Formats: sequence, C-alpha cells, structure tokens
Amino acid sequence: MSQRRNRLAAAPLIAVLGLVALAGPAGASGESVGGCMAEHLNEAIEENHGDYEHTLHDEGVQSDLEKCFDAPNPILPETNEVIWGALSFGLLFFFMAKKGFPAVKGAMDARAERIASDLDAAEQAKIEARAVEADYQARLGDAKGEASRLIDEARGAADQLKVDLSARAEADIADMRERAAADIESARQQAIADLRAEVAGIALGAAERVVQSSLDAEVQGRLIDAYIDEVAGSNG
Amino acid sequence: MVDSRVGAYADALFAVAAAEGNLAAVEDELFQFAQALGSNDDLLATLTDEAVPAVRRQQVVEDLLDGKASATTSALVSMVVAAGRAADLPAIVTAVVERGTASRNKAVATVRSAIDLSTDQRSRLEAAIHTSTGKEVEVKVVIDPSVLGGVITEIGDDIIDGSIRRRLNQLRESCR
Repeated sequence: MSQRRNRLAAAPLIAVLGLVALAGPAGASGESVGGCMAEHLNEAIEENHGDYEHTLHDEGVQSDLEKCFDAPNPILPETNEVIWGALSFGLLFFFMAKKGFPAVKGAMDARAERIASDLDAAEQAKIEARAVEADYQARLGDAKGEASRLIDEARGAADQLKVDLSARAEADIADMRERAAADIESARQQAIADLRAEVAGIALGAAERVVQSSLDAEVQGRLIDAYIDEVAGSNG
Repeated sequence: MVDSRVGAYADALFAVAAAEGNLAAVEDELFQFAQALGSNDDLLATLTDEAVPAVRRQQVVEDLLDGKASATTSALVSMVVAAGRAADLPAIVTAVVERGTASRNKAVATVRSAIDLSTDQRSRLEAAIHTSTGKEVEVKVVIDPSVLGGVITEIGDDIIDGSIRRRLNQLRESCR
C-alpha cells in the first residue's frame, strides 16, 4: 500500500524534473530587442571593418534593426519550444502511461474495491442490524407479552389474596364475635352462679348461726335420739 | 416398716392395758387423747419436736392427763412420746382399740358428735347399729363441734351421716 503511494508521489516529481532538465533556454526563440540590435550591429560592424558611421547609416542595417522591434507571434510558439514541449510531453506521457496510470488505476481500483467491500460490509451490517432489530423487536414483544401476562397473573393473585384475606378476616371477626358472645354468656352465667353462691353462703351462714344458737343440750340430745331411732329403723 | 412398728407398739400397749385389767377404760382414754392430739397441731408439734427433751415432752403429757385419765393411760402415752413416736400415736391407738374390740368379738364404731353421748345413748346406738347392720360394735365418741348437731357414725368404710352439717351442705348444694 505504501509502495503504491510512493509511486504515485514520484510520478509528478519525475515529470517536473524532466521539464526542467529538457527545457531549452528562454531566449532561444524570442531574445530581447537590445540583444537583437546588438547582435545585428556587431555583425554589420564586422562586415564594414569597424566603420561605425557607415554601418549606422546603412539602410540594410537599419532594416535589420527595425526587424528587432517586430513582436514574435503570440500564439504560435517557437519551433524549438514545440519540439522540446513535444518531447517532454511524450516522455511524461510515457512515464505516466507506464508507471503513473497503472499505479493510479491500481489505487483507484483498490479504493473502489475497498469502497465496494465497505459498502457490502455496511449492507451486511445493515442487514444484520435489521435482523438484530427484528430480533430485538420480537424479544421486546415477547417481553411485553410476558410482562403483561405476569401483571395479569399478579393482579389476579392480588385479587384472589384480597378475597381470601377478606373472607378470613370476616371469618375471624365472626369467630371473635362468637367467642366474645360465649365469653359474655359464660361471664354472665358465672356471675349469676357466683351471686347465687354468695347469696346461698350468706343465707346458709345465717341459717348456721341460727341453728347453732338454737342447738342447746336438750335439742342436741333429741337430735341424737332421733338419729338412734333412725339408725334402728333402717335395715341395711 | 411403719405398719409393723405401729403394730408392735399397739401390741405392747394392748398387753399392758390387759395386764392392768382395765382394758376398756384405757382404750377409751387413749382414744380420747389420740383424737385431741389429732385435732391440736400445736400439741402434736410440741410432742414430736426432737429439740424438746423427752423428759419435757413426758411432763407435758402427764400435765395434760393428770386427773383426767388413769395412771396406766398416762404411762403408756408418756412412753410412746418419750420414744419419739408421738406422730404415730393416733394410728397406734386405733390399732389398740381394734385389738380390744376384736378381743371382745366386736367392731369399732367411731361416732362424731357436737356433744358427748350419754351411756344410755351409747348402748342404744350400739343396739341400733347391730339391728341395722348385724354387727356387734363398740361406740367411740369423738367430740367434733363442726358437726353442729346430730351424729356421724363410721364403721370401717361405712358412714351413717345424720348431722346438721350434712343437711346444711345439702342445702348449699341445692342452692347452686
């Protein structure tokens, strides 16, 4: 991967170096006006054997000097530039076609393949996510159903418990009421019995005192005699 | 062990009384003393207290019976108390009485009454019991004020209750 990236970076660098190395001098096809005039003057002076005055008044020289003021064609480059440019272009094209384009194409293909793979993976992930979501929804639905069922069961159990507790409480209340009534009745009976015993005790105590006061020796003797007669009268 | 000891003492007392020739009187006096001892907790506690010297306990007995019982009776009771068997005296006396009545071919009829019975009443009661039960008995009277009036007769396990107390108790039961 890094090798491909290095090749891609080296391709434009090689092209620039080629242009710089193979480009001709700037003035080859369009030198300056002064230079042109100086070149023509030097040539004319050499032809006239150093006679400056004659050279300056020579019409041919003046015509050549005036040509120096003519502007080059702005559209059509110089022939050497065309040659150098064509060679550079061809060389660059060759290198690009041989090295750069396959590298770029390989990188593009790899990128496209990676993007396609990523897209496939994304699609797969999306499908899986949808499956997970569907499963989640199903589970959620099941959980909701289970929760609803549990709530219904709990509510039913609570209602049943409420009914049971109410019935038990009513039974307890009835039992307590019954026991309380029984206790009250028992206490009443006990109170009546106690009162009766108390009254009887008082009455018997009074009777006993009366009997004791009335039991003198004579009465005691008669009671003993009566007892003896009773024993004698009984038979077994 | 206790029964055999009581029996041995009863045999001894019976033999002494018989030897002295006043068995019936000694029996009766012993019976009266045993009844008094059974109804008097303080007297019983005194006569059974080991901390009290035997001489002192004998003196108490002699003081109680002086002029009220025969010398034989006083001596026999004193002997039992000095031996430290005062607590067994009622059972010993009962055994003596049973031996005496048995020697006369009779049974003991314990009579509880608020007052003592006259000699006539005793003989009439013995005759009435004989008529009623067919048993020859000798009446032993126990003075018991709680009877109030009338008589309660016990012959062995048989009880003939003609007391005012019983009638009052019946009345009390009927009031419940």
